[in-house]
Amino acid sequence: MSGSSSQYQQLEKLGEGTYATVYKGRNRTTGELVALKEINLDSEEGTPSTAIREISLMKELKHENVVPLYDVIHTENKLNLVFEYMDKDLKKYMDSRGDHGALDYSTIKSFMHQLLQGIAFCHDNRVLHRDLKPQNLLINNKGQLKLADFGLARAFGIPVNTFSNEVVTLWYRAPDVLLGSRTYSTSIDMWSAGCIMAEMYTGRPLFPGTTNEDQLQKIFRLMGTPNERSWPNISQLPNYRSNFPVYATQDLHTILPQIDPLGLDLLCSMLQLRPENRLSARDALKHPWFTEYNTLRRPAQGLDMPMHPSTGLMGPPQLPSTYGM
Amino acid sequence: MATTRRSTRISATAGHDENILGVNANGRVTRAKAAALDTQLITGQGTQSALVAKEVNGGQIKGRKRAALGDVSNVHKEAGPGEKNVKQHAAKIVKTATSTNVSRSRAPRTVNDSITDEEASVQIKKNSSTSVASGTRKRRAPLKPITIATAAQRAAKPRSKSSASSLVDEIIDEEFSDGNKENEDPILVDTVERVSSESQDAATTEPDKHGEAMPDWDDLDADEMDDPTMVAEYVNEIFDYMKELEIRTMPNPRYMDEQRDLQWKMRDILIDWLVEVHTKFRLLPETLFLAVNIVDRFLSLRVVTLDKLQLVGITGMFIAAKYEEVFSPSIQNFVYVADSGYTEEEILRAETFMLQVLDFNLSYPNPMNFLRRNSKADNYDIQTRTVAKYLMEIALLDHRFMRYYPSRVAATAMYLARVILERPPWDKNLIHYSGGYTEEMIEPVCNLMIDYLVKPVKHEAFFKKYASKRFLKASILARQWAKKRVEQIPLPSDLNIDSDEAEEQEST
Repeated sequence: MSGSSSQYQQLEKLGEGTYATVYKGRNRTTGELVALKEINLDSEEGTPSTAIREISLMKELKHENVVPLYDVIHTENKLNLVFEYMDKDLKKYMDSRGDHGALDYSTIKSFMHQLLQGIAFCHDNRVLHRDLKPQNLLINNKGQLKLADFGLARAFGIPVNTFSNEVVTLWYRAPDVLLGSRTYSTSIDMWSAGCIMAEMYTGRPLFPGTTNEDQLQKIFRLMGTPNERSWPNISQLPNYRSNFPVYATQDLHTILPQIDPLGLDLLCSMLQLRPENRLSARDALKHPWFTEYNTLRRPAQGLDMPMHPSTGLMGPPQLPSTYGM
Repeated sequence: MATTRRSTRISATAGHDENILGVNANGRVTRAKAAALDTQLITGQGTQSALVAKEVNGGQIKGRKRAALGDVSNVHKEAGPGEKNVKQHAAKIVKTATSTNVSRSRAPRTVNDSITDEEASVQIKKNSSTSVASGTRKRRAPLKPITIATAAQRAAKPRSKSSASSLVDEIIDEEFSDGNKENEDPILVDTVERVSSESQDAATTEPDKHGEAMPDWDDLDADEMDDPTMVAEYVNEIFDYMKELEIRTMPNPRYMDEQRDLQWKMRDILIDWLVEVHTKFRLLPETLFLAVNIVDRFLSLRVVTLDKLQLVGITGMFIAAKYEEVFSPSIQNFVYVADSGYTEEEILRAETFMLQVLDFNLSYPNPMNFLRRNSKADNYDIQTRTVAKYLMEIALLDHRFMRYYPSRVAATAMYLARVILERPPWDKNLIHYSGGYTEEMIEPVCNLMIDYLVKPVKHEAFFKKYASKRFLKASILARQWAKKRVEQIPLPSDLNIDSDEAEEQEST
């Protein structure tokens, strides 16, 4: 953890975040490609807390579905984080591969399985990601998916402390957080996972709200407006309004006609309005939709479907007959 | 905008403190209730939160600031003209802070420059006889503002191949020279034995070992499946992981052997001052524990001169606040509480350096986590927990506890608090939710705690903090109890492993 910046050759810019710029880079000794995340140190307040948390947490989190941090180069006014190079983020992957952004069944299932494994690992290690979205899920050409950008992540104790309410990009932000709750925990990441799953089916964000208020409306329009009966104590949340427009719960199938019943069941379990009803990542991995990953299957060959990297097995060659579309 | 942010931060801190949370009939606090209270604070009474904000800003600055170093060097100034100057300065800052309600208010630093210079010269004078490198204060080497003896220099010392437990080796960075006295010094051997028996404890206390066949404790997590903040689905994995982390983040309990310029009593003063700073800033309990862990791990790895000790302390708190707090105080507050003894630039350089030395590892599973887990087994008895918090913090102040894992300290604090408050005996549930600590395992640590309690008050700020009503006068209560108890059952005589130092303390 003490490399010098001259060890890496800086190539083109890959992206720009709120507090960092990411470049493609090359290790001069090994020739290996890397991603260089350059963080400017605040001349007044020093190392940003986001960077302190991100580095501290990324150094612990070693998992095949979390992008590995190779090195930290700390100079006087800059901090360079050296990560494994990944080809694309999920957003770009969908734009380039999918049918108008929509992905095929087996790719979705493989990506969801990997996403949930990454989330479950973080939660096991008492870390909330708090900013899951397609742009923060990186894909390489082996079909591996890895969680990246832990700038908003933090470690939690039990019971979970009250944290900042300004977390997660609006479109992927859970309704309890939108309603002003600051006692969220692991379920905050599961809502985002649900939104991402739906987005992979359609190629479009599920709830593309413009403001906090609009975001809630978009969610309620589809999932139904909650009330004291469906969500006890909801009226005590700071942003709750008794005059929210009342919508009935829609069948998700109408906007996701391509989804199979088991997949729909999993999706609904993640998109529960009440945080306590949301499925955990561990339980989601045990969901029957993932049966083929949980029981050994013979490897299928010759299909241009993505290999599921952790099992080394192919995605299902066809849908189980009972769940045909 | 700034106002909202500020008051939000304050309610977050307030809501966090268990002592002012909603407690229902059977004394149990749920996070949901805390949240409800919390949110009321934010939304409901705008005026009230504004008041709270005012008070905090005032409280943050009010009162005499103690320069830890001044105390170290026994310079005790009565309020002279300089003191007055500081107070005026303080008043000025209070004003700025309340009018904008942001911690970013920039006060002209020139105001008490004169005092600073005076004090600095006193310090340097005081230190010049002992300190090799008081001149390093003004040095501008970017990455080594603190180091006097670097790893390379120390590595020249021969490393002993001792039979010491591997755990000790693990927790002592390879750069930290053990010297070659390990086998001769009885105190050191004792330390090694204690630490290694601790590691065995950890091995025998895996919660799973109780569980497999027929658990003799009740599954209290099941009741909390409905409370998302209890993370019942992951709670076992998380605590297994924290037990792993506590091994990795242990400081070297003998680091003072390597510090040429420092003594334990200076650390005492430093940590007591950090408790005071922490209270003034109204930070989360986690922040204090992390700050002290950062300081101790840093001092385990680098030799520091006396005039930089306070810089290490304040920077440790600065880093810990960034890691733990939702909104951490700005750097000026830290410069200010340290009596402008260090510049912003110095703190920032120290931050970079300390983060590098610690390799950015801030994953310290602080004892608050274990205490909260343990509280589950007594139905979150608020009185027990408050007294336990005081007892747990003793372990921060008294370096003799440094060799014990946070989980063991938390279990001991819980145990002793229950004894003091005459609660029923340590049962299977308490053992299980403490992480498997039985009375036998707790006993040595507990005796050390009682030993601390019967000695004269050494840490004023810490004592005062817990003598307040808010903390149910825990420090007074515990000390009174300990006095009575020791009259009846004297402590074992071999307790004080640092008897040399203790004698020295008494004679001064």
